[in-house]
Amino acid sequence: MIGRLLNFILFVTFAGATITLADTNTGDEYAPVADLLKSCQVCHGDQGASTEQQYPILAGQEFYYLYVQLKDFKSGLRANPIMDPVVSALDKDQMQLIAKYFSEQVWPDTEYASDDQVTRSAITVITAGQCIACHLGKFDGDSRVPRLAGQHPEYLAKTMLDFKSKSRQNSPAKGSLLASFADQELINVAQYLSSL
Amino acid sequence: MGNKRINNLFLNLFVGWCIALFSISSVQSQEVGGGTLYGDMLTVTQDMLDRAASDSNNFLHTNGNYKQTRYYPARQINVGNVDRLQRAWTFETEVVESLETTPIIVNGVMYVTTSFNHVYALNAETGQEIWHYKHDMGPITTYCCGPNNRGVFPYGDKVYMGTLDAKLVALDAKTGRLAWATQIADPELGYSETMAPTAVDGKILIGTNGGEYGIRGFVKAYDADTGKELWTFHTTAENSVGVWATKDATGRDMLRDIRAEKAALKKLGDPYKTLGGGVWQNMAIDRETNTVYFVAGNPSPDLYGAIRPGDNLYTNSLVAVDLSTGKYKCHFQYIAHDVWDLDAVSPPILTTVVDDRGNEVKGVLHAGKTGYVYVHRAKDCSLIRFSEPMVVQENRWVLPTPEGERMLPGANGGVEWSPMAIDPNLGLAYAINLHQPMTYHVEATPYPGGKLWLGGAFKVIAEEQQWGNITAVDYNTGKIKWKVKTEQPMIGGILATGGGLVFTGEGNGWFRAFDSKTGELLWQYKANAGVNAPPASYNVGGNQYIVVGAGGNVQLDYKRGNEIIAFKLGR
Repeated sequence: MIGRLLNFILFVTFAGATITLADTNTGDEYAPVADLLKSCQVCHGDQGASTEQQYPILAGQEFYYLYVQLKDFKSGLRANPIMDPVVSALDKDQMQLIAKYFSEQVWPDTEYASDDQVTRSAITVITAGQCIACHLGKFDGDSRVPRLAGQHPEYLAKTMLDFKSKSRQNSPAKGSLLASFADQELINVAQYLSSL
Repeated sequence: MGNKRINNLFLNLFVGWCIALFSISSVQSQEVGGGTLYGDMLTVTQDMLDRAASDSNNFLHTNGNYKQTRYYPARQINVGNVDRLQRAWTFETEVVESLETTPIIVNGVMYVTTSFNHVYALNAETGQEIWHYKHDMGPITTYCCGPNNRGVFPYGDKVYMGTLDAKLVALDAKTGRLAWATQIADPELGYSETMAPTAVDGKILIGTNGGEYGIRGFVKAYDADTGKELWTFHTTAENSVGVWATKDATGRDMLRDIRAEKAALKKLGDPYKTLGGGVWQNMAIDRETNTVYFVAGNPSPDLYGAIRPGDNLYTNSLVAVDLSTGKYKCHFQYIAHDVWDLDAVSPPILTTVVDDRGNEVKGVLHAGKTGYVYVHRAKDCSLIRFSEPMVVQENRWVLPTPEGERMLPGANGGVEWSPMAIDPNLGLAYAINLHQPMTYHVEATPYPGGKLWLGGAFKVIAEEQQWGNITAVDYNTGKIKWKVKTEQPMIGGILATGGGLVFTGEGNGWFRAFDSKTGELLWQYKANAGVNAPPASYNVGGNQYIVVGAGGNVQLDYKRGNEIIAFKLGR
């Protein structure tokens, strides 16, 4: 992670001149944020199809969820040492364009698995928490509710544990609910969701 | 390609063209001549809507008629022959997700909706598609409990629908083309629409979802021709404090800390701007007194009451307003300062009831999430009686804690949004119930600006058994007449008919008919998905049909599907 962070700082410092990225091929619509999109892909992978566990997949994520997260990073509701400097200078139009770009990409195939014991534990938590009522049956999300299916398990687990510990506070209802589960239960849920 | 294959191709095209032509003319003839007793048979007139309670051909209202009795007068299908009821046709929608639609039938044409706001017009005799409308959903939607839709309302030459992105749309009933759309409220702040509208006297009435997001609830009236807003009644009063009630409608102490609330009121002021009070279901209309009756839902945030001192009027209330102006007439609050989300959702029913002096008066029935049927005087909303509890009551009203307190009913209630039905001849109201033990957790939470705002959490106790009931309540005495236990908690709705039957479906796919007098099971059909939508009935070509959606339910995670299934008597 430190290596990525250093790369990212270098990228921001030299405005993208020092790092060669896959062609973003953004077209005219995304020209105003082309350089910003390149910086996003330093960590989040080509077209947002992250292959590293700690960076969430953005490709194919819900537009409005992504936009709200960018707004929350900027307002400080969601604190993150990597994202804070990225979003501080973004305006609303830029945030919406970035969110739209990633929402239009294809969610990558991931091949995570969940064994029977983990799956049983996860389904018990999901039933108790009525998670499907918001995230929908396939955990595909919709609009302001993120897709969780196929997301990296490490990122999902960290997210839930951060909600539980209140180190992430930009979805208060999530924090209240997750606080009532054991850490290992949430890790099991993360593994199960990643396998969907 | 050889000549023989070319000849076959032309032959197939010709046959297909003939079939298509026949289908179109068949549909058109049914639209014109399919048989309603009232009106010009081309459009849905106010007269047709007013007479719907005695119309054995159409099903024009979400809940049967303006009184919302869900009592369908036809008796071709009855206790003596319901065992011969057979599937007539199945229509598969494009969307495999919760179905909560009430099919609307106008002169042989059926209108159904799906999750994410698709609308279909079908030939009610065959199930063939006439047109399909897909709402152009905006990128921002904020909704609780699934991307549901509960149906259209027909009026004039249009059908009307509310959308997840908080719009009201009017469609040409013959083509499905969009006539107009109007933005009801801002979905970014938590407003959305899943209820069917109600049309009356040139107005389209609709409430709003959003009680889980800190909205300010309302019922609005729009001009049916133009979509122009005519009036708004806010379900959170600018003075929402009320009378500092300490007991609920059944007389049970709600353990409020009134002193702390009064101190909070001084410090925070009236919380009405983000107080919730969604209106999830259709309103009953008293045409004689020009009065609209509806129920308003829970206050926001659901569980954390300290931030919203006072009774939180008119949340958790039966409310009556003037149809012409939207002006307040009366209300009755079931739970002041609710911190359990056991609110008022199931649509109210107007009917004649016996009051506490033995006189017959115009009454209003409501099935609360508390699991009681409440009986009111229509003239002033006052409570005449409440029924015996239809579901187990345990630990009510224990206050939520950070660690969680167990209570029954659970937060999905003893009755959810599911409409009741009545048989006015028997004086019985039929409700479907849930038994879902839950723990209630509270956490101090400031307004999060349109995000989910529960002020805590509800948790299903996974290791405890859940079940459901179908319950018949004598609304003139409050006594339970009969009760049938079901395998799972019930959600969807129920229909009573002149044939002495009640029809309702279950999450496990069973769709069943019971004797409305006794609760005896008389017929059943196993669908491919949960049957969690309100049934309807109609007549076409001399046959009475029962129709219901089988699409499961996202809130209770019942198996999803995409089928509209119609039944009629076999030979």
